[in-house]
Amino acid sequence: MHKEAAIREPLILGDDVTYSKITADVLHAIEHEPTKLWKVLMTIATITALWGIGCILYLVGTGIGTWGLNNTMGWAWDITNFVWWVGIGHAGTLISAVLLLFRQKWRMAINRPAEAMTIFAVFMAGTFPLVHMGRVWMAYWVFPLPNQFGSLWVNFNSPLLWDVFAISTYMSVSLVFWYIGLIPDFATVRDRASKPVQKLMYSLMSFGWTGNAKAWQRFEEVSLVLAGLATPLVFSVHSIVSMDFATSIVPGWHSTIFPPYFVAGAVFSGFAMVQTLMLIARKAMRLEYIITVKHIEYMNIVIIVTGGIVGVAYCTEFFIGWYTGVQYESYVYMSAGAATGPYAWAFWSLIFCNFINPAFLWFKKIRTSLTATFIIALIINIGMWFERFDIIVTCLSRDYLPSTWTMFFPTWVDLGVFIGTIGIFSVFYLLFLKYFPVLALNEVKTILKSSGERYKNMSDEDFKQLHPVFKTDIKVTNDTNNKDNEETTD
Amino acid sequence: MANSKKYWKGIEQLKETAAFQDSSNKEFSEQLPIEEFLGDENSLGDAGTTRRDFLKYLGFGLAAASLAACETPVTKAIPYLNKPEEITPGIANYYATTFYDGLDYCPILVKTREGRPIFIKGNVESSLTKGEINARVNSSVLSLYDNTRLKSPMINGEEATWVSIDNRLGKELKSAKNIKVLANTIISPSTKSIIGKLLNDDLINQTVSNNFIQYDSISYSGMLDANLESFNKRAIPTYNLDKAKSIVSVGADFLAGWLDSLQYNVGYASGRNPEKEWMSKHFQFEANMSLTGTNADVRIPVKPSEYGSIIGSLYNKVAVKVGANKIIVTALNKVHDRRLNEVAEHLLLHKGESVVFCGSNDKSIQLLVNGLNNLLGNYGKTIDIEKTSYVRQGSDKMFTELVKEMESGSVDALLIYGVDPVFTSGEAFKKALKKVKTSVSFAVKMNETSAECKYVCPDNHFLESWNDALPVDGHYSLAQPTISQLFDTRQAQESMMKWAGVDGSYYQFIKSSWETTIFPQSGSLMFTDFWNKTLHDGVVDVKTPLNRISIVSPFSIDVNSVANNISKQKSTGIELVLYIKEGIGDGLSSDNPILQELPDPVSKITWDNYVTMNPSEMENAGYNVQLGQESPANIISVTANGTSLELPVVSQPGQAKGTIGIALGYGKNVGKMADPTGKNAFPFVLRDQDGNISYTTSALVTDIDGTYPIAITQMQHTVMGRDSIIRETTLDVFKDGDKSDFNPSHTLIGHKDGKSVNVITKEFNIWGKDQPVEKIGHRWGMSIDLNTCTGCGACVTACNIENNIAIIGKDEMRRGRSMHWLRIDRYYASEYQDAGDIAGTLEKTKEAEDVGTTFGYKHMEDPADNPLVVHQPMMCQHCNHAGCETVCPVAATTHSNEGLNMMTYNRCIGTRYCANNCAYKVRRFNWYNYTAYKKFSEFNPSQDDLGRMVLNPDVVVRSRGVMEKCSMCVQSIQAAKLQAKIAGKPVEDGDVDCACSSVCGSGAIVFGDLNDTKSKVRAGMENDRAYRVIEEKGQEPNIFYQTKVRNLASSKTTKNHGHS
Repeated sequence: MHKEAAIREPLILGDDVTYSKITADVLHAIEHEPTKLWKVLMTIATITALWGIGCILYLVGTGIGTWGLNNTMGWAWDITNFVWWVGIGHAGTLISAVLLLFRQKWRMAINRPAEAMTIFAVFMAGTFPLVHMGRVWMAYWVFPLPNQFGSLWVNFNSPLLWDVFAISTYMSVSLVFWYIGLIPDFATVRDRASKPVQKLMYSLMSFGWTGNAKAWQRFEEVSLVLAGLATPLVFSVHSIVSMDFATSIVPGWHSTIFPPYFVAGAVFSGFAMVQTLMLIARKAMRLEYIITVKHIEYMNIVIIVTGGIVGVAYCTEFFIGWYTGVQYESYVYMSAGAATGPYAWAFWSLIFCNFINPAFLWFKKIRTSLTATFIIALIINIGMWFERFDIIVTCLSRDYLPSTWTMFFPTWVDLGVFIGTIGIFSVFYLLFLKYFPVLALNEVKTILKSSGERYKNMSDEDFKQLHPVFKTDIKVTNDTNNKDNEETTD
Repeated sequence: MANSKKYWKGIEQLKETAAFQDSSNKEFSEQLPIEEFLGDENSLGDAGTTRRDFLKYLGFGLAAASLAACETPVTKAIPYLNKPEEITPGIANYYATTFYDGLDYCPILVKTREGRPIFIKGNVESSLTKGEINARVNSSVLSLYDNTRLKSPMINGEEATWVSIDNRLGKELKSAKNIKVLANTIISPSTKSIIGKLLNDDLINQTVSNNFIQYDSISYSGMLDANLESFNKRAIPTYNLDKAKSIVSVGADFLAGWLDSLQYNVGYASGRNPEKEWMSKHFQFEANMSLTGTNADVRIPVKPSEYGSIIGSLYNKVAVKVGANKIIVTALNKVHDRRLNEVAEHLLLHKGESVVFCGSNDKSIQLLVNGLNNLLGNYGKTIDIEKTSYVRQGSDKMFTELVKEMESGSVDALLIYGVDPVFTSGEAFKKALKKVKTSVSFAVKMNETSAECKYVCPDNHFLESWNDALPVDGHYSLAQPTISQLFDTRQAQESMMKWAGVDGSYYQFIKSSWETTIFPQSGSLMFTDFWNKTLHDGVVDVKTPLNRISIVSPFSIDVNSVANNISKQKSTGIELVLYIKEGIGDGLSSDNPILQELPDPVSKITWDNYVTMNPSEMENAGYNVQLGQESPANIISVTANGTSLELPVVSQPGQAKGTIGIALGYGKNVGKMADPTGKNAFPFVLRDQDGNISYTTSALVTDIDGTYPIAITQMQHTVMGRDSIIRETTLDVFKDGDKSDFNPSHTLIGHKDGKSVNVITKEFNIWGKDQPVEKIGHRWGMSIDLNTCTGCGACVTACNIENNIAIIGKDEMRRGRSMHWLRIDRYYASEYQDAGDIAGTLEKTKEAEDVGTTFGYKHMEDPADNPLVVHQPMMCQHCNHAGCETVCPVAATTHSNEGLNMMTYNRCIGTRYCANNCAYKVRRFNWYNYTAYKKFSEFNPSQDDLGRMVLNPDVVVRSRGVMEKCSMCVQSIQAAKLQAKIAGKPVEDGDVDCACSSVCGSGAIVFGDLNDTKSKVRAGMENDRAYRVIEEKGQEPNIFYQTKVRNLASSKTTKNHGHS
């Protein structure tokens, strides 16, 4: 009989991994001159970002007419990009909050960069509803501010208003959650910093973290509370975004399955984006032993599950389109958006990217292959953009009155603003990689010793040699014993 | 007791010492050392500025400088020094006057605000037009404020004064032996008599003068000559279409620009009411799909070369039945022949109650038409040759002779008034004009002809002019100025009076000639009363017309020899049919951007002319049939009559195969635009040696590489079987069936006891059935009759002008950003849509093509080869449960308690969510700052100080980034409510009118209070034919449409799948 609990595969690989190695590796970028690769990427990203900002200024200065929208198509790329970015901004909080509540230790290796991605993505997402307004300078009117105009008030019926609330709440909670997590790590950087400016900056940012037990205890509590707060937000944000469509009467938008479908889609796209970024980052920063194939595989499994939900949602929509017998719905699903309409190319792109493409992940060989994962994740990112494009543009282009049917053609400003946000996002992300502890190093250290396989196979001599602190013959027999109880600082 | 108490602040006050009294009178208790401080330069100089003071001054300086830098917009408002008696700022005045430009005669009512004409609508007092007006007439108000108008007289292209003009020209005219006046048809008796005085010729009592040449830019010479031969009277008869039960038109677009189309519209509309005892049946044979053709019950595409044989065959078929002799005609193909039997049968059934029109300018064909109408006994009943219309009197022959005479050099002086012959008749005239020593143009705006003239004596705009008119025997109307002249112009008549040596003003001249000629016929007692009343009403009908030439000889033409002439005519190759558009007309006023932006009622294309071609022929030739924003038209070269033009080719369902159509009137520069809009197709007009004009000719079409972007406002042409958008039925079903047959309630599938049942959609209402608010007070709404709406577009331009809608130009129109608050949707039937049965289209498509739903939908998108057509005016539906209102985050669009869906421009931040959630897509977004952005400066009148004068001061000009839409002319509603309040009575039906309904002479659009049980609009709402568009969405619109009824047999009863 097997008396021991099954030994888990270690979350951190390598025999020679020590706390100081983790610290050194994670903080390598901060403590060294930027690499050539970083400089090249940063240059490209800055140029793109400036180009995007230029496009936005031109847009705001001249008018929404510089986009390709028309009377029938009140929204197109603007809201497509908005929903796309919001969707991307979903994975981070899910990883850090939901997985924290479920005590999934593997999250620790990826939560920091994923959360950073979330913050920047939501920031980019917020740009679009802002600049898509005809009068951006009046944007503050969407807030229920007290005013001297008497009963002038916002319209609480409007899902767009709830969008504002949902996204700003999500943004602020995610930001706080992320920053709280950063504090101990900033302190580590501070402690190791030798340059005075650097030391000053990081000591300001670390809020005087001392690392005493009380601080750690409070840290844990706050993390838990914030995780509790953030978890419902993960579900509310995209549900509310989906209501922009679901509560309208546009055939193809007006659909009750949108909230869960959108949330699943968001997690789907968010994880794909995490994969895309992480696969590059771990390679470039030589952190393969912390962000392991195991992590990649876990995230691929999440992609399979959420991708499955999205796939079912597609089928449901078509079924309902047929089942209701409403000719407008039927037309949208049977013709306009589907196989034969003018947007058939977008529809088939979506089916390939989001329906067929993630199905390859069912094969273990593929989902543990880094190259395959990278390609599939990239295609999913594209597919999710097409999904939003399909919903918004196809449905609007052919709604009730055939006399108003039209097509959408993007202009260079449409393209410029979209590319620009990718540029701005990249700038933020590259700055994050350079100046922030990319991984939650103090948290990662807690799982360093959770894998007992090595210890189990170790002779007592070896063990004593490795850990001379232990005077007595303690031999770890079970990996669960020391897993949760180690609190170690460098 | 209260008096005994005294409060005091201190002992000083209690005792009221002198020191206290002294100090209490001062503002400050102590003397402030201001004088000392400012007076003493040393102390002032020593007073150092502290750091805090410095910051204060800096802050103040910065704030002051930045405040000063913010320029306050300069708004110019000049008050009256002496307020004119009739003007109250903010209150509109209306003046009755008359529009006539050689194409349309229209008595109008001009709305002026603070002395500026801003809106034109039809004059309901007129017994001829009864308030009917068209787009060309109502948008002519903009041409008054055209900054490119001639602003002073010119000699040889250089600015001159009127004195020098009068001196030089007076001398030249005195010495000239051969003076000619070339003008459009003159219906003004006073103008005619002044021209007569100038030419020393009595024009009033003499029908033909060799020196006075009337020239219609669109010729009706053939018809006039045929009538001269038939009845010894060269005139156009009047048609009583309200009595015509059977209307047959062969190539005559009588609802849009053909002859007195405004008057025909009125009569036609009254015969199209299915609720009346009878409804007229309208057959249309034509090559192009004309606006009239789209309204026909039966439309048969034929080549123009077949017009003669169609009339001939019809004549024979009728002749056989009435016992007259048959004539020899070229045989028609069997399909046409079979259809003609049907037509002949219907005509015979309604002998004396029918009308046959023909649009041909061929005298022989028109003679045959007269013969046919004579056989049918229509003269004296539906056609009145005794009471004639004077709106067309031009003669092709006389014009040709004039050109010959000019070429020979014998014309000393030529005065050109109201026409642009270089534009409309081409190079020959231009060459001949060079040989005329003294050429004078009275153009309002520089045109092709005035550019060639020695003297340009700019005429006043008609809104700055006095005039009179005799359009039809017994009907007179007056024109009065509604604004004093804007530029240094002089009315042409006054110029001519001066040169002819007639004293006084033209106004006095009209008045005195009316006193001697028209007043005696009127039966009034006092001339002043008669004059004032006529001036007030704008029109007057007299009992005993003076001008009637009662000797009309009976019809006695040898139709056989006429038919022989016709049968000799042969055509080869592709036949080109030149036509005029409802908005553009003959092109003399096509430089009006509002008209250019008005989509063609049939093709829905703006800002261009093009070649129309049958879609199947285009597909065979490999041309692009489906136009769109990024799907441009192919360019082809059309050669005819010795000239060729490169034009885009556009598919026109219903175009007769083997024919192409090109619209005349294009090729003028609009506003300050560098390039002309469209191309001038007048050179294609065919002239034979005698000067007879034909608007059809054979043409050669060749491919040209390249494409041309087209601004089309409607890309999808069929209604896709959606019978909750368009409802139509056939007359037999409407007469025999009940409401559930022709206008059934919309149902959806629901469940009851485990079974699926059809439930009326109203049952699904989530808002609760009782909406008590909707029954209290006013509830403004509209009723739109699809049966009487001809799709002319007058409502669109009227709405544009009333509501200051921006002109956005071709490129923006192409991008689908039309700003029209009111548009007219035009749907063609697909091949499988039967008359009166839209709902069954998908099933029929699937059956006929044996395809599933998906491909069935695909097939439904193609219009039929010769489709049935329906026009649907579409504007904000003012839904009681509006989709737009619930989604606006800032509550910028809200519902009034009078049923209006309101738009608060100031509150709008431009998320465009409302537009997305509008099922009717009637919301319009300000994509740019149209009144300032450079893209629009060439043609947007609002970017010009003068052009802005046409703006309605009651309606704000919307800024960039806000949403706008139809407000049901809320400014008029408010005005009417105020007026009623002052009068102390409730608002009554007819007190308020929207711009669109006020110009809809056919009465298709009715506006009013739905809660007023006696109102017309309420009757429209309660009518059996009434339905609401997309009713099943439960948005409860306040706009009701009435089912279209086609005078056809139902396909369900006859089982005839083909349709006409």
